[in-house]
Amino acid sequence: MTDNERPPVQLELPLPFPELSGDMPLLPARMINEYQYCPRLAYLEWVQGEWAASADTVEGDHAHRRVDKPSKRFPEADELDDTEKLHGRSITLSSNRLGLIAKLDLIEAEDGIVTPIDYKRGKRPHVARGAYDPERVQLCVQAMVLREHGYVCEEGALYFVQSRERVRVVFDDELEQLTQNAINGLRLIAAGGHIPDPLLDSPKCSGCSLVGICLPDEVNYLRHADLEPRPLAVMRDEALPVYVQAYKAKIGKKGEELEISIDDEKVQTARLVDVSQVVVMGNVYITTPCLQDLMKREIPVSWHSYGGWFVGHTVGTGHKNVELRTAQYKASFDDKTCLAIARNLVRAKIQNSRTLARRNWRSDVPVEPLLDALKNLADKALRATDLPQLLGIEGGAAAQYFAAFDQLIKKPDDSKQLSFDFNTRNRRPPTDPVNALLSFAYAMLTRTWTMNLSAVGLDPYRGFYHQPRYGRPALALDLMEPFRPIIADSTVLQVINNGEVRPTDFVSAAGSVNLNDGGRKRFIAAFERRMSQEITHPLFGYKVDYRRLFEIQARLFGRYLLGELPEYPNFTTR
Amino acid sequence: MAAYEHLYIITYDIRDPKRWRRVFRLMKGYGEWLQLSVFQCRLSRKRHAELIALLDGIIHHNEDHILIVNIGPAETVKPSVVSLGKDFEVVARQPVIV
Ligand code: SF4
Repeated sequence: MTDNERPPVQLELPLPFPELSGDMPLLPARMINEYQYCPRLAYLEWVQGEWAASADTVEGDHAHRRVDKPSKRFPEADELDDTEKLHGRSITLSSNRLGLIAKLDLIEAEDGIVTPIDYKRGKRPHVARGAYDPERVQLCVQAMVLREHGYVCEEGALYFVQSRERVRVVFDDELEQLTQNAINGLRLIAAGGHIPDPLLDSPKCSGCSLVGICLPDEVNYLRHADLEPRPLAVMRDEALPVYVQAYKAKIGKKGEELEISIDDEKVQTARLVDVSQVVVMGNVYITTPCLQDLMKREIPVSWHSYGGWFVGHTVGTGHKNVELRTAQYKASFDDKTCLAIARNLVRAKIQNSRTLARRNWRSDVPVEPLLDALKNLADKALRATDLPQLLGIEGGAAAQYFAAFDQLIKKPDDSKQLSFDFNTRNRRPPTDPVNALLSFAYAMLTRTWTMNLSAVGLDPYRGFYHQPRYGRPALALDLMEPFRPIIADSTVLQVINNGEVRPTDFVSAAGSVNLNDGGRKRFIAAFERRMSQEITHPLFGYKVDYRRLFEIQARLFGRYLLGELPEYPNFTTR
Repeated sequence: MAAYEHLYIITYDIRDPKRWRRVFRLMKGYGEWLQLSVFQCRLSRKRHAELIALLDGIIHHNEDHILIVNIGPAETVKPSVVSLGKDFEVVARQPVIV
C-alpha cells in the first residue's frame, strides 16, 4: 500500500486514562449524562456536591421504582448461554480503566448478546434520533462498561414510562466518539478544579434543577452585562419558618407534621414540607426523634434566648461544597480582599440607611443635611485605606443616622398618650422600647443570614469586615450590613408607626427593656411579612422577595469568592 | 411571582383501613383536611410529583382509587364553592408563630 492509497482520515490516538488509583472515586454514569446536558451542571453536582430535587427528578425516581429492586445474580459474560433469554434488574458494574461506575436499570440477554435498557420518565421526545444526546450517551457508557466485562453489546434501548415506548439506540462510531469526549471532558474538569461557564441564554437552564444554585443568567449578566436575566432562579417553592417562643412549649413530630403542644395540649401543627427552619426562643423542648427528622430533611433549628439573642443553630451533616469554604478562608486571609469587600458593604449600608431616612422622614426639620452627610460618608467609605478607618466612617454614619432616627417615628396626636421616644442607640441591654425593638430585629436578621449562609455552603463564622471572635457569626454580620436599614429598621418603624406594637407591650426589669409575649409575636409576624415582600431587583430587573433575594445574594457572594465574578454586587434600594 | 403553585382537591377511596390510615397521614403532610377522605392542597410541580409517587407506593391499584383535581393557580384562583354547615377557606401559606 502506498501513501496516496490511504484513506483521508485523521486517526484518533486514543489517550488511555491512567487506571484509577488512590482515593479517586469512580464517576457515576449519570454524571456523563449531566455533562452532556451541561458541563457546569456536572461540575456543580460532582465536584461541589450540590443537589436540588425538582419535579423532573422526583418523577424520574418514580419512573425507576420498578427497576430499582435488584434481581438475583446476573451471569458473567462467559456463563451466558447462547439461547437463553434472561433479564437482570438494577445491576451495578464498574470499570477502573474508564474510571466509571454504572447502575443499569435492566439488562436483557438473548443469544449471548446483552442489551441495556434505561428507564426514563415521561413520553418519548420527538427528535431525529429518537432521544436526546445526554440519554443516548448515558446508555453508551453502560455499553462500554458491559463490554469491559466481556459482554457482547451492540445496541441499547430507552424505555419511556409514560408513553410506554421503547426507543432503540445503536452504538455507532459517532455516538461512541461523543461518549468518549464526554467521559474525557468530565474527568478533566473534575481534576482541574475549574468550574465551566454557565450556558448563555439557553432553554436548557429553565429545565435544570440546579438553576437556583448555578444562577446562569445572573452570572453572565454580571460578567458582560448584555442579556437581561430571566427570573429563572426566583421560581421555586417557598417553605416558611416556624417560630416557637411560648413558655414551656414542646415540639414533636406526628406523621408528616410538626406538632407543637403546651402542657401536653396540642396548640398548633405545621406540615414539615412547608417548614424552612425552626426558630426556638427560650424554654422550649424538641423531642429527639423530631430533631433527628429535621436534620434528615435539612431543616435547621436555631436556638435563641428568650430575649431573642441568637445562641446557635443545629444542622444536619452540613453542606458538601468544600471548594467554596476553601475559597472563603483563602480570601479572608487576604487583607486587600477584606478591605475591598468591607468598603462596598459599608457603602451599601450607608446608602440604604439614607434611602430609609428619606422615605420615612416625618419632621419639619429639613432632611437634606442628613442626606448630604450620609452621601458623603458613603463615598468616603469607598476610599477608606484600612479597616480601622472604615470602622470610623461607619461609626460616624451610624451616629448621624441614629441621631435623626426619632424623626422617623410617628408621634401620637394626643400628647397624653404614651409615645415611643428615641435618643441614642444602646444595646446590651437595651434601655428603652425602641432600642429593644432594634436589638431584637438585628438578632432576627443575624439568625436569618447565618442560616442562609450555612444553607448555601459558606461558613457563617469567618468574615471579612467583622473579625471572627468566639461565637460571632462574622460573615452573617458582614453580609447583613446593607439589610439592617431596609429590613430591621424598617420593620421597627413599621410596627411603631402602624401601631402594631405599642409602648405598653414592653416589660422592664433591672434596667433592661423587653417585648412581652404578644408584642413579640406581632413583631415576628411583621418581620416575616417584610421578608415576603417583593421588590424589583435593581440589577436584574425581575421581581423577587427578600427571602429569595438573600439566598441569591449569598450565592453570588460565593461566585465572587470562587473567582467567577469580578465583584460582589451589593444590594441597594432607591 | 408567577403562578407557581396550584390548588388541588384530592379525594380517595381506600378499601383497607390500614392503607387508609397511611394515606390519611401522608395527606396531612401535604394539605389541609376538609372532610372524611377529602383534602385541599397547594402544590408546586415538585410536591405534586412527590405526592403522586408516595400515594402510588401505598395504594393497591385494583382496589383503591384516588382523584386529584387541579383547581388552578393557587395565588389567583377563586374557586366558586357552596359550603353548607362549615366555612370553606382556600389554604394560604404563612409562617407559623406560637
Ligand atoms: S442552570 Fe443552565 S448553565 Fe447552570 S447548570 Fe443548569 S443548564 Fe447548566
